[in-house]
Amino acid sequence: MAIHSLPTEASEVLAAPQRDLKGRAFRLIPVALLIVILGVLSAVVPYFLSLNNFISILMQSAALGLMALGLTAVLITGGIDLSIPSLMSFSAVLGAMYMKAGGSPVVASFLMLAVALAGGCVNGLAVAWLKMIPFVVTLSTMAVFSGASIWITNAVSVTGIPRRFITTVMADVGVIPIPVIVFVVMTLLMQLLLTRSLYGRWLYAVGTNIRAARVSGIPTQRVLFGAYVFSGLAAGLAAIITTAWLGTAGGTIGSEGVVLDVVSSAVLGGVSIYGGAGTAVGAFVGTILIKLISNSLNFLQASYYLVLVTKGVVIVAFVAVDSLFRRKS
Amino acid sequence: MSDPFLRMVDVRKRFPGVDALKSVTLEAYAGEAVALIGANGAGKSTLMNVLGGVIAPDGGYIEIDGKRAAFRTPAEASRDGVAFVHQELALMPTLNILDNMLITSFPRRKGLIDYRAGEELCRNALKQLGYDFPLRTRVRDLSPGDQQIVEIARTLLGKSRIVIFDEPTSSLTSREKERLFEIIRIMKSRGTAIIYITHLLDEVFTVCERAVIMRNGAKVAESRIADLTRGQIVEKMIGSQEAVAYFQHHERRPGEVLLTVEHLNREGFLDDVSFTLRSGEVVGLWGLLGSGRTELFRALMGLDPIHRGRIRLHKPGSEVVDLSPQRAHSVMGMLTEDRRTDGLLLPMSIRLNMSIANLKNLLYRGWPFVYRAREESVTREYVKKLNIKSTSIEQRVATLSGGNQQKVVVGRWLQTKPLIFLLDEPTRGLDVEAKAELHAIVANMADAGAAVVIVSSDLDEIMSLSDRYLVMVRGRIVKEYSALATKHELLATASGISAQAEGVG
Repeated sequence: MAIHSLPTEASEVLAAPQRDLKGRAFRLIPVALLIVILGVLSAVVPYFLSLNNFISILMQSAALGLMALGLTAVLITGGIDLSIPSLMSFSAVLGAMYMKAGGSPVVASFLMLAVALAGGCVNGLAVAWLKMIPFVVTLSTMAVFSGASIWITNAVSVTGIPRRFITTVMADVGVIPIPVIVFVVMTLLMQLLLTRSLYGRWLYAVGTNIRAARVSGIPTQRVLFGAYVFSGLAAGLAAIITTAWLGTAGGTIGSEGVVLDVVSSAVLGGVSIYGGAGTAVGAFVGTILIKLISNSLNFLQASYYLVLVTKGVVIVAFVAVDSLFRRKS
Repeated sequence: MSDPFLRMVDVRKRFPGVDALKSVTLEAYAGEAVALIGANGAGKSTLMNVLGGVIAPDGGYIEIDGKRAAFRTPAEASRDGVAFVHQELALMPTLNILDNMLITSFPRRKGLIDYRAGEELCRNALKQLGYDFPLRTRVRDLSPGDQQIVEIARTLLGKSRIVIFDEPTSSLTSREKERLFEIIRIMKSRGTAIIYITHLLDEVFTVCERAVIMRNGAKVAESRIADLTRGQIVEKMIGSQEAVAYFQHHERRPGEVLLTVEHLNREGFLDDVSFTLRSGEVVGLWGLLGSGRTELFRALMGLDPIHRGRIRLHKPGSEVVDLSPQRAHSVMGMLTEDRRTDGLLLPMSIRLNMSIANLKNLLYRGWPFVYRAREESVTREYVKKLNIKSTSIEQRVATLSGGNQQKVVVGRWLQTKPLIFLLDEPTRGLDVEAKAELHAIVANMADAGAAVVIVSSDLDEIMSLSDRYLVMVRGRIVKEYSALATKHELLATASGISAQAEGVG
C-alpha cells in the first residue's frame, strides 16, 4: 500500500518520552521502598540479612503473596476481588474437616483447590456474564464464604490435621520450604503469562478499555471469567499452605485484616486499582514489603490497631500517587 | 460598526514543545457572528479556552466592552458574560432540564432552592428561543438537538454577551441545524457577540458575518465572509494545495460479491436490512444520526445480537458460508465512531494497540505466547506504510495526534488483512491534512480488493469516496444509489422525503 507522504510535525512527538520516564519512575517506587526498608532493618536488627531470616520472611509471605497474585489478575481487568481470603478460609475449613473425618490429605488438597476454583467461578460468572459490579459481587461472596466457614465450624478452629499433611506441605527442598517454592514459581509463571502470553495481553487490554477490546475481537467475557477463576485457584493454594502452616483451619484465618493485607500487597506492588497496569513481580515485592512493615511494627510492639492505621494510610497514599500519574497522561 | 465588544490582543500561549498561540488578536462585535476556522491543532480551542478562563495565557490581554478582563476560572468568565456551548453536550443526563440549567445558579430563598423562581427563569430563557419544554423532563430523554437547545438556553440565563459555539452541529440532524441557525440569528439581533467554531464551511457562509482563519497557532487571515470563497478558506486553513486532493474521486471497478446480508433484524434497531458488498468497492452508508448505521456495523461485526436474518460470506476460492459472530473478526475490520472510547487503548504503546486484533497470527509456533520479534517487525511495517508520526513503536498512543491515533486503529485492522472494512466516521475530529491521508488509505483499501463501507456525517466526504450509496432511515435501508447520486437526492432520502413516496428501494 503506497500512501503519499506528508511533512512531519516535530511538535507532535515531543511530549512523549517525558511521560514514559515518569511511568517508569512510578514502577520503581516499590523496589526503592523495599531497598530502604531492608537497609534500615539490616542496620537496626541483628542477623537480619541472614539466609534463614530471608527464607523465614518468604515463608510468612507465601500464602498472602499467592492471594495477592490472584488479586493482581483481577485488578488488571479493572475489577476487585474482596472474597479471596474468605474463600481461602472456607476451602481450608472444608479440607480440614475432611481430613479430620479421616480423609486422605491428597484428596483434601484437591478438595481445597476445587472448592476455591468453584468460588472463583461464581464470582467470574456474576461479573462476566451477569455483568454485575465486581465490588458488590465479591463483597457479597466474601460475606457468604466467611459466614459459611464460621457457621459450619461453630466458630471453633478445626484441629486434628494429619501430621503427614503438615510435614509434606511444609517440607524443605534443600533449604527452601515448598510454600516458598510455590510462591516464587507462581510469581514467575504469572509474570511470564502476563507479559508474553495471548491471555496476558488480553487481560491488560480488557482492563485498559473493555469496549475497544471487544471491538478488536477479544473474548472479553472469557477473559474476565478467567481472572476470577485464577484468583480462586490462588485462594486454594493459599488455603493448603495456611492449613499446613497453622496446623488448624478456622473461619477467622481470612478475616478483614487479611483482606486489607492482600489489597495493600498488590497496591504497594504498583498494581493499579484502575485496571490495565500491574505485574506479578510487583505484587511479589508488595507482599514482602507489607510483611516487613507488619513485622517491624510488631517488633516495636506497636498496637494491632496502629498497624491497621498504617496499612490503611499506605494504601491511600499509593492509590493517590497512582491517580496523580494517571491524570497527567 | 462601533468599537469591538470583545478584544483579545496579542494572546500568547506556549505548551511544552509547542507554540499553541503565537500572538493572536481576535475581535468580536455585538450582534455579529465571527467564524473561527482552522484545522485541528490550529489553536482555536486554546484561544477559546483562554477566553473562557480554562487556560491562563502567557501574554496578551482581553478587553470586554472596553474594560480589561482576566479570567482565572470558567466561573469568573461566565460571571462576566462569556458562555460556552460545548461540542460534546455537557449536560447531566439523569437530571431534569430545570436542574441542568440552574445547576450553578439556583435562585435561593432563606438558603433553600426557590424552585418557583427557577422555573420562571428557565421558562423565560427557553421562550426566548421559541421553546416550551416540560422542565421536569430528564435530559437523557431529549434528542441531541433538544439537549443543545437546553444548553443554549442556559447561556441566556447568565445574561451572556459573548457566546462561543464549538462545533455545535456535530450531533444534529439537518432540521435541528436549521433551528440552531435561527436561534443564532435571534441571539445576534439581541446584541450578543457570537464566536462560531467549525470545520464545516457551508455553515460558515450561512451563519457568520466575518471569518478568522487560524493555522499553527497564528491568525493567517481575517475577512468578511462575503469576500471569501470556499476554496480560499480551505487553502488558508491548510496552507497548501492539499485541498485539491481532498475532494477527488477516481473510478473503480467492483469485483466479485464478498458478502450478502439477508433480512437482518435486531429488535428496535435494524429492520429487514439486505444488501451485498463486492470486492474493490467503497459503499457510502448514508443516513441521519440514529438511523442505525453504527448498529448495522456492530451487528455485522458480531458485537450485538441479531434476532433474524443471516450474513453470508463468499470467500474467494471457497464455498459460501454463514458468517458466525465469532468468525466476523477474522474477515472484517471496524473503525469505531469514537476512537477514544471504543477504539484505542490510550495508555498503551503503538505496538500493543496495533497487534491486539492480530495476536493469534503473531504467536510463537502455535504456542499461546506472542512472538515479540515478529510483532515488532509487523508493527514497524504498518507504521511505515501508514506514515504514522511517532518517536518509536513504544510511544503511548495517548500522546499521538488524532490523525495518527486513527491510523494506529487502521493499522490494527490492516494487519489482519480483512476482506471487509467498516469505517464509522473515520475522519471525525481530524484536521484537513489527516483527512486527506485517511481518504487515500480508504481508496487504497478498495484498490487492494477489500470491500469498504463508510459512514460519515460529512456528505462531501462520503460523496468524494463512494462508488455506491445505501441510504438508511430508522433502521432500514430505504434506497440504493449509484455513484451518480446528487447531494439533493441523498439528503432528501435520508430525511425520509422521497422514501415515503417511492417505497423501499
